[in-house]
Amino acid sequence: MEESDLTPRGWLRHQATRVRVLLAQVVALGVVVGCLTIVQMGLLAWIVSRLTIEGIPADELIWPFMGLALVVVLRALAQWGQESAGNEAGVRVRSRLRAELLDHLAALGPQRLSDQHSAGLGGQVVEQVEALDGYFSRFLPQLRLAVVLPLIILCVVLWLDWLAALFLLLAAPLIPLFMALVGMGAERLNREQFLAVTRLAGHFLDRVRGVTTLQLFNRTERSVDEVFTAADDYRQRSMRTLRIAFLSSAVLEFFASVAIAVVAIYIGFGLLGYISFGPADELTLFSGLFVLLLAPEFFQPLRTLSQHYHDRAAALGAADALVKLLKRPAPAEPVPAEVSETEGQASGSRVDLENVVVSYPERGRVLGPLDLVIEPGECLAVTGPSGTGKSTLLHLLGGFVTPAEGSYEVSPAAPIAWMDQRPWLVKGSLADNLRLAAPDADEARLYDAVRQAGLGALIDTLPDGLDTSLGERGLGLSGGQAQRLALARVFLSQAPLVLLDEPTASLDVDTEAQIIGSLRRLIDAGRTLIVATHHPALIDMADRVLTLSEGRVIDSQRRGRNEIEQ
Amino acid sequence: MKSSNDATLTATFRPWMKVLGRRRRRLWLGGLLILLTVAAAIGLLALSGWFITATAVTGLMLAAGIQATLDIYRPGAGIRFFAVGRSVVRYVERVYNHETVLRLLADLRAGMFTVMTRLDERVVGQLRASEWLNRLTADIDALDSLYLRLLAPPLVALLAIAGIGILLGLFVPGIGVAVAIPLLGLWLWLVVGQARLGLAASRRRIATLDRLRMRSIEQMQGLAELRCYGTLATHRRALADEERALYEDQRRLGRYQALGNALVGMGVTLSAVLALWLGARAFGAGEISGPVMVMMPLAVLAMSEALAMLPSGFTHFGSTLAAAERLNGIASLRGAIREPQAPEALPEGALSLEMVDVSLDYSGTGLPSEVRSVTPALERVSFSVHAGERVALLGESGAGKSSVAKLATRLIEPEQGQVLIGGNNVRQVALGELRSRIGYLTQHAELFHDTLAANLRLGDAQADDARLWDVLSIVDLAAWARELPQGLDTWVGESGRQLSGGQARRVALARVLLCDPDLVILDEPFSGLDATTAAYIASRLDDCLAGRTVIYLAHDEAGLPSVDRALRLREGRLT
Repeated sequence: MEESDLTPRGWLRHQATRVRVLLAQVVALGVVVGCLTIVQMGLLAWIVSRLTIEGIPADELIWPFMGLALVVVLRALAQWGQESAGNEAGVRVRSRLRAELLDHLAALGPQRLSDQHSAGLGGQVVEQVEALDGYFSRFLPQLRLAVVLPLIILCVVLWLDWLAALFLLLAAPLIPLFMALVGMGAERLNREQFLAVTRLAGHFLDRVRGVTTLQLFNRTERSVDEVFTAADDYRQRSMRTLRIAFLSSAVLEFFASVAIAVVAIYIGFGLLGYISFGPADELTLFSGLFVLLLAPEFFQPLRTLSQHYHDRAAALGAADALVKLLKRPAPAEPVPAEVSETEGQASGSRVDLENVVVSYPERGRVLGPLDLVIEPGECLAVTGPSGTGKSTLLHLLGGFVTPAEGSYEVSPAAPIAWMDQRPWLVKGSLADNLRLAAPDADEARLYDAVRQAGLGALIDTLPDGLDTSLGERGLGLSGGQAQRLALARVFLSQAPLVLLDEPTASLDVDTEAQIIGSLRRLIDAGRTLIVATHHPALIDMADRVLTLSEGRVIDSQRRGRNEIEQ
Repeated sequence: MKSSNDATLTATFRPWMKVLGRRRRRLWLGGLLILLTVAAAIGLLALSGWFITATAVTGLMLAAGIQATLDIYRPGAGIRFFAVGRSVVRYVERVYNHETVLRLLADLRAGMFTVMTRLDERVVGQLRASEWLNRLTADIDALDSLYLRLLAPPLVALLAIAGIGILLGLFVPGIGVAVAIPLLGLWLWLVVGQARLGLAASRRRIATLDRLRMRSIEQMQGLAELRCYGTLATHRRALADEERALYEDQRRLGRYQALGNALVGMGVTLSAVLALWLGARAFGAGEISGPVMVMMPLAVLAMSEALAMLPSGFTHFGSTLAAAERLNGIASLRGAIREPQAPEALPEGALSLEMVDVSLDYSGTGLPSEVRSVTPALERVSFSVHAGERVALLGESGAGKSSVAKLATRLIEPEQGQVLIGGNNVRQVALGELRSRIGYLTQHAELFHDTLAANLRLGDAQADDARLWDVLSIVDLAAWARELPQGLDTWVGESGRQLSGGQARRVALARVLLCDPDLVILDEPFSGLDATTAAYIASRLDDCLAGRTVIYLAHDEAGLPSVDRALRLREGRLT
């Protein structure tokens, strides 16, 4: 399937083919349920007719009664099977899709996703994929059943009384027509609804994260009002969607009710002998009651479909957003392979940039044209005023941005050690946070890394050591401690290329010196280090200092490492 | 058994029942509308059955030449009335009830956010931002079931069963009782049985969804690290575990709910068969007429309308319960910062800061001990900064500098000692006044997902563009901002991600300057800046900080503008 011309509908259809067998099963069981319903109603009408018209006492009809009970039980079993199979189809589609979505997001990388709120993306992975459930588990099978079951019932009614069948047939086409009219609006509203949900989540997350800032600037009361306004806006949007959905079922129900009432009155008049044309004078209580009991069943599959109509609208809304995300071209190069504990460590990476230019849509050209060769084992410091492309250079080497022009190569293409300006910490223990860089590392290696990053003294004072748990963004750790924890990951990893963005910001002189000592150990081990920094002590550590201004190299100084050590 | 948990169940839902109570009238009216829908459905089927049979019997008599009459107009009108009435009432009911519930949810969200904004900062930090987000969205959403699925439908179903029992009992009392008993049994199973069956799985499902969302957001935020370190696959495996657990529970719940739905169909139809059987015997005994005998099972068949709502609601009872429990947990968090009863006014002009024997050991927050031990604490710290003085508060990261600033702005409250601003105990000053007079640049200053201008105007909502350019030039960002295609209206992205770290920091600094504070606390104002920019900003700061009290928080004096004196903190003590 061509990724470029994906429409939400086409995409959903494509997903359905992947659970074809299950969906067929659901439809088949649905037909069984429908047929058993017909048998059940027929038996009921027959029993009533025998009782009232022929005056047979109830005790002589014990077997038909037992038969009726048996049909009811069988029907319940089939219904259970139908629903369970539909549920399974929904689960399978979602599990596959979620995996694909996460893969795609990973391939896109952080820089390409920087215009998206991570809570919004998280919501897409969780809520929007969940929103597809009803479409596959209920709506799609019901769409088939809404055609098949009324036809079967129509045939039965036709056999009983063709005029009654005609009444049903006349009412039927009106229903999908009205639903289509109502549904068209619902689809657009549903898309808006999804946007509103995503916006609401982003709005809340922003306010929640910045709650301290809001408190400091006396904005809490206003932000509470804003939260209420956002929630109320969400209510109004939801109501618009819901009103349409409810209206569509009301319209359907209204037409069904009118048709049933017409049939009931026709049968009543026919039984009284008031109608002398057509098959009316052949009506009996059995056929009349049977038709009357089948009339609601004729409309029931359509009513059920309209109840599931919002499932379709929700799925289309979700699909629209998901397809947009999936359409974003991800770079062809694979995400670096997983860390293998046996390899690595050997030597540093070589980096080769040729005439590279990087530009962002909002900010224009941020880096280049740039020619640069970094030898294995070299330590390069990149400096220059903030906003001149230091971070962009690191993003490029990390593989998160594709150059607009030129080419670059990192060899070997092994894992890279990375540390950001904002230390990324997850909820969990200190050890969990460290193992993000090396999942299989044992306790001893973790302690070693922590000491190299200058956190040894702190960890020793903790009663639970590395099992101490942290809040979000390292709350419970000070800024410097959080940064050192992120730095500990660099020491833990075996990556031959190390990218550091202001690794010593907010550390005091003693700690900085300690860390520089550790970083030197990395250089001595032959790893390639690229450090974006302003700190003189870090710059002194480098073999070469690159000064950037407005994305271009304005100065490149080579230094002897020994010179500094003296 | 459920009964043994009744006390805790009631306790869990009590606060929420109170919230519902505020919209009592809407809720009763909504319930009445549901009842009307069910009554119309029963009326429609019962009357149709009676009518058809009556016409058939009369028709036969007429055919046999017996004189017989049947009023066909009134039953016909009745059938049309019930048919149309049902559609209309159902539409009105659904719109009305959903509107009620969404209003309740908006109230709840704002209420929950208010609770959060009043908490001690250390307590807020106990939950990740994404967890707070879930409390505000998913958990509160789950509470919509409370009325719409858990309270109104079972009540209406119970009334409908009683109604059917009475209706049938009017003709033959025995039949009314005999049919009501199995229906009551069915009701009991659908409410208690389904709830118990799905309790564990539905409870777990919400928690799993929560973790799945958290892990997904984590993956998005840490994509750089995960991709570089090549550990994406490992993190994905943790995600996959959560997913597997989720699907397992969803399968289970799907089966349970299907069981409930099948039982509704089976139970109601079998009750109808029972009504027909008993009716037939009564008919044989001459107690009732044929049409009434047919009316009875058909009226019972319509009960599926009343019971159909129960399986989905009660199979997922655990989700609502868990959501209510979590929200109750937040409501019971300790450590709210309270406004003073009779606030004192701060003196005009530059403000002094005084710490008197202040200790911060976190025992007042009710936080678990392992969190307390990592977090910096203060121990019996006393010092004062005079009005107009410039002081550097030095110390290694984690020494307690930030705690001093948070105490001054009353983001946190000390376990012991007093904090005085301008000679007034901070507890006696209105929070609004206190915070508007103190400018505090935090270590992680948050930018909001908004425009550059909107982020700056947090400092002063009334500031015009000229003022904004003013402060931007102080932090040396004016030239950069002028180059931006959208200028001040540039969107800064989540947490200021579209800006570089140094730029975001300077925007936050500009924002503090904009609020024209009398006491300025700057936490590492120049971190992440190159020496030239830092020196330039420091010299511009000197001018605009004149006449204010300034406290710099830093790990050493290097790179700070000149100060009158320096204080040193080490492991929570002044040295």
